[in-house]
Amino acid sequence: MADVTLSPLHRADGSATFTSNGYSVVAAVNGPIEVQRRDELPEEAAIDVAIRPAAGVGGVRERHLESILQSTLRHVILVSAHPRTLIQVTLQIISSTEGSFNVGDLPQATSNLPILPALLQASILALLSTSIPLSMTLTATLVAVDGQRLKSDPSAEELKVASSIHVFAFSSHGNLLVVESEGEFGIETWEEAYQNARLACRGDEENDSESEDVSMDSDNDTKLEDVLRIAVRQKVAREQKWKLDLRSATT
Amino acid sequence: MAIKPSPSDSTSNPVQTLTFPALVFAKLAPTTFLTAHLSSPHGPLRPSGRSPSQVRTPTCHTGSLTHAHGSAVVRCGDTAVVCGVRGEILRAEDIPDYKPQPEEDARRDYEDEQDEQALKITIMAEEEKKLAEIGSGGHNRNSQSPDRGNEDEQGRRKRIRREDSEEMARLGLLVPNLELATGCSPDNLPGGPPSLLAQTLTQRILTLLHTTHLLRMGDLRLWFHPRAPSSTPFKPADEGEDEDLARPSVKAFWALYIDILFISLDGNAFDAAWLSVLAALKDTRLPRAWWDGDRETVLCSDDPSEARVLDLYDMPVALSFGIFEGDGESKGKRWVLVDMDGFEEGQCREGGTVVVGDGGRVVRIEKDGRGMVGVKEVRDLVERAKERRMEWIGVLG
Repeated sequence: MADVTLSPLHRADGSATFTSNGYSVVAAVNGPIEVQRRDELPEEAAIDVAIRPAAGVGGVRERHLESILQSTLRHVILVSAHPRTLIQVTLQIISSTEGSFNVGDLPQATSNLPILPALLQASILALLSTSIPLSMTLTATLVAVDGQRLKSDPSAEELKVASSIHVFAFSSHGNLLVVESEGEFGIETWEEAYQNARLACRGDEENDSESEDVSMDSDNDTKLEDVLRIAVRQKVAREQKWKLDLRSATT
Repeated sequence: MAIKPSPSDSTSNPVQTLTFPALVFAKLAPTTFLTAHLSSPHGPLRPSGRSPSQVRTPTCHTGSLTHAHGSAVVRCGDTAVVCGVRGEILRAEDIPDYKPQPEEDARRDYEDEQDEQALKITIMAEEEKKLAEIGSGGHNRNSQSPDRGNEDEQGRRKRIRREDSEEMARLGLLVPNLELATGCSPDNLPGGPPSLLAQTLTQRILTLLHTTHLLRMGDLRLWFHPRAPSSTPFKPADEGEDEDLARPSVKAFWALYIDILFISLDGNAFDAAWLSVLAALKDTRLPRAWWDGDRETVLCSDDPSEARVLDLYDMPVALSFGIFEGDGESKGKRWVLVDMDGFEEGQCREGGTVVVGDGGRVVRIEKDGRGMVGVKEVRDLVERAKERRMEWIGVLG
């Protein structure tokens, strides 16, 4: 299950760590801050994403991931609320199941998709920790397909033998934000993977609408949206603690 | 006191309507301009005159670069791209931590290599035979049985293809590099490091080359044949003979440098780049090369008739798209535009690419943005990409 810490870094405006399935990412957000003239957008905030790999310096692989994240976060953050500013998201990969910590051990051509859900989740948590106005939150997950079998949160071995791997990210409104699928698959398999990912991210929506409060204490907290919700609830509780302390002190 | 406009007034002083040419309109209010085109009463039409699902027909020229082993110039509308493939020899001894294949694998590969040559000849012969049979009107009674036998064979081939691309990735034998030439688009300023777009496209092409298992490792290995290759290559080593010399081994590899240069960029960079890569790889002819044991070096034959073409397993067809959301009266209405030009790309806030291989297999779906594309749209786009296949086959020949 995913392990989340909000605001572990003190000097950044907001930060979060996200650990799940062998991938661990720490994210820091600074913003809105002053923007360089050439990056300045007159009507919205510029978003800058920087990804650092677990070992070595970033290369073209990281640039590709950055561009996926950048174009996603542009729609998640209410960029029009902060025109002519910069929101800077820095992500440091702490560990990944690709394992090797030797620089240059990982061929550039290997797929960079498995880390993407963790990067998306960490960045959205850091943005929540920064209290930057967002239009929605998102949840992301990885599905591997091996022949006819679907596997969410696959291990490194399962990824190696998988015939195709899929990353899906859903917004809190239920829209499909990001799709990255590679390998060899039919469109039916893709739809199955989509349903599978949707279930992992957003839970069984039909059940939820029928009985909101029953689902809260059932085993439904395995869905990723609840991980997000619990993390924020804990953060709010911690930040409100002084109020409760004050109240108990006065009585 | 109210002023009553008299009819004579309006005739003498007609209402000044602000008019300007379409180009100025497009610059001033691009979103409105595009919305107006797409919500025209005669059905949605883009400023270029295409319908939303209509692509620009590509044209392709191959073999125009003389210094490259294979090259192609592809043009889609105002997007023009040159791709050159150059094979360089990578010696196994120069590869750090190079582990030669286990002997059995090496033997298998070597035999495959030999079989492949024989197979090509038999396949051609078989096809000719089949054609002759069809021509003579005879039934092919055995049409079912080879398929069943092939299932095992197919699984094996799939595995080999997978291992091939893993090895290519490990050794880094495919090196695509994409460059946006100065002045190819207004956004592209001279000097400075490669832009984010160029780097992203390079990475996307690199991963697509590997995940589609496009190339055969057999084409890229350079063997050392201790004897004449036709005579029993795996005869057990005689006593006293140096064993290393007795068996064929891989001494070097071809590394393919795939350079892609955009001369002009007017949207849809990925599809054009990918088509040019396919065309250039199809055009590539590598000279026959072998390891010379005496000189301890790789020699290449300069006889063009001995040069070999690369075997491409597949021809994955890419289709990029964007989602445009209207403004004004058509707010909330959206159109899926395929093969966008530069102007449309600037107006779309969501986009992606689907890549479809042989037999309708999907090999890549990527998309990012606001979440306006659902399962249904993706399904339609995959269908559209399948249709595009015929067009690409026509272009690539």
